[in-house]
Amino acid sequence: MIQVENLRKEFKKTVKEPGLKGSFKSLFRPKTERVVAVDDISFEVPKGEILGFIGPNGAGKSTVIKMLTGILTPTSGRCTINGKNPTVSRKSYVKEIGVVFGQRTQLWWDLPLRETYGVLKEIYEVDDKSYKERMAFLNETLDLESFISSPVRTLSLGQRMRADIAASLLHSPKVLFLDEPTIGLDVVVKDNIRRAIEQINRQEQTTVILTTHDLADIELLADRIVMIDKGRNVFDGSVGELKTRYGQIRELNFVTDSPDPKAALDYLRHFSIGEEDVSVKCEGSAVKVRFNSSAVPVSDILAYTLETVHVNDISVKDADIEEIIRRLYKQGVE
Amino acid sequence: MKHIRRLFRIHRIFVVQELKRMMEYKGDFIVGVIGFLMVQCSNLLFLWIIFNNIPNLLGWSLNEVVFIYGFSLIPKGIDHLFFDNLWAIGHFTVRKGDFDKYLTRPVNTLVHVLFEKLQIDALGELIMGIALVCVSLPQLQIEWSVFKVLLGIAAVFFATFIFTGIKIITASVAFWKKRSGNIIYMVYMFNDFAKYPVTIYNEVIKNLITYIIPFAFTAYFPALYLLTGENPLYNVGMTVLMSLALMSLGVFVWHRGIRAYESAGS
Ligand SMILES: Nc1ncnc2c1ncn2[C@@H]1O[C@H](COP(=O)(O)OP(=O)(O)OP(=O)(O)O)[C@@H](O)[C@H]1O
Ligand SMILES: [Mg+2]
Repeated sequence: MIQVENLRKEFKKTVKEPGLKGSFKSLFRPKTERVVAVDDISFEVPKGEILGFIGPNGAGKSTVIKMLTGILTPTSGRCTINGKNPTVSRKSYVKEIGVVFGQRTQLWWDLPLRETYGVLKEIYEVDDKSYKERMAFLNETLDLESFISSPVRTLSLGQRMRADIAASLLHSPKVLFLDEPTIGLDVVVKDNIRRAIEQINRQEQTTVILTTHDLADIELLADRIVMIDKGRNVFDGSVGELKTRYGQIRELNFVTDSPDPKAALDYLRHFSIGEEDVSVKCEGSAVKVRFNSSAVPVSDILAYTLETVHVNDISVKDADIEEIIRRLYKQGVE
Repeated sequence: MKHIRRLFRIHRIFVVQELKRMMEYKGDFIVGVIGFLMVQCSNLLFLWIIFNNIPNLLGWSLNEVVFIYGFSLIPKGIDHLFFDNLWAIGHFTVRKGDFDKYLTRPVNTLVHVLFEKLQIDALGELIMGIALVCVSLPQLQIEWSVFKVLLGIAAVFFATFIFTGIKIITASVAFWKKRSGNIIYMVYMFNDFAKYPVTIYNEVIKNLITYIIPFAFTAYFPALYLLTGENPLYNVGMTVLMSLALMSLGVFVWHRGIRAYESAGS
């Protein structure tokens, strides 16, 4: 239902030479240069899916979301929801979507929350009956009751985030865009918000596009992941696929009383593998070996380790998604 | 029609809220009004001193000048009362990326921005304007007719949108330049010239406020018609024309600006 094709966004940036002279120069002949924030992004999202849209800081996630929500006009490329295009018919397009930017509120600073919803009711033309039912439902799922009479400016971050999410859902949108909805929240509120997202998605088949730096959000909610970096797609698939594609890395942890385990254990030579496939870290008597299980089978590594040094306590860990993504963000994807 | 009703319902909510807020920050409001009245009184005192020395300024009597002065405050006050949110657009809404929220809502962005705020302070201007017109009227021999009254009301209406149009155009500059508060201010300040009969100015200023930043049509020309009954086609007709032209240009520039709007990184 959502189609994103070759989306690109360039920002204009005025370059200023330093100093007063530079300021004068740029006043009369401003030099501008183009910054490519989103280079070429394409993906599709079927109805009812929760898509985790991830990537390192500055990857272009928020910029993509802003183009998908009609805020920014793409430099080139297209995005459509049910065939509707925000640059052609913004008003009918945005009626079908809900948007939350975790970093800033869309609510009116001085209005009590209840009044805010009253204004949104008119803006989105929600009739009285649906409004009442909807408010009751949102009140319950997001627990708004205790602060619904307070002005928005007095809300805590967690309260404000719940208020913002409720506001974005008031008109029962078909698609919900959440840009870092759990940023800066405590575990209880995070939990509450995740449950609300899941519930809305399950009950109403609302399609959700979610960006986050908290990978627990992804593991708990996302059906699929689209990862981008430097404005380009780097991965598109399920969490399981991400693990099988990049998750061959395992971690071997053990405690030894041998004097110099690092010198004794020569994985490189023994298995004739490269440095990219294995790394050893010692901390006192604790040793951590990270290895690529497709280059060396787990059983071989175990056998070699056990016969070379004296081991007290040993475990092999699956790389979790966090580890995989940390590696991907750090090295980029080839 | 339904659409318009909806917009007015939204407007009402904002108005009620603004009134509540005014009650909350009463002191602020009172200081604002007192400050405004002091400035206006010093202007009037200045006029009074001039006319005490030269009873006839280039053919204008004190009462005529007060009438024009008072008339000029009415459309200015109405625009100020209802459409002041445009200043915020130029000063910070666009620069901080807070304009995002207007774009994600299914309402025309310009209408949304215009309807969102009520600047109660403007009542000072409005009341002052009406008072000055009322004070000067009995001493002026004006022949009234229904037609003239209607044209007078139309003139106030369209003159209001000359202010609004100019503010929309200058505020829109922010979409390209990130901020335009100073530009709005600079252009807007030319309306100070329009409070007095334009015939007292040299050619440069006269042409500037007649054709370039046409504030002269918010006060002098329509007031001239009301005072003399002369040439309604030009004096009021041009007010209507300028108003429509500026609003059309404003709407055009605004929507062009939105395409250039870059939000803010976050
Ligand atoms: N309004 C803007 N004007 C100029 N450059 C911008 C603007 N918004 C974003 N950028 C640039 O575009 C790039 C992508 O930014 P974006 O905010 O989309 O990243 P992101 O993936 O959301 O990062 P984060 O995880 O930190 O939120 C960055 O290099 C940023 O500096
Ligand atoms: Mg972001």
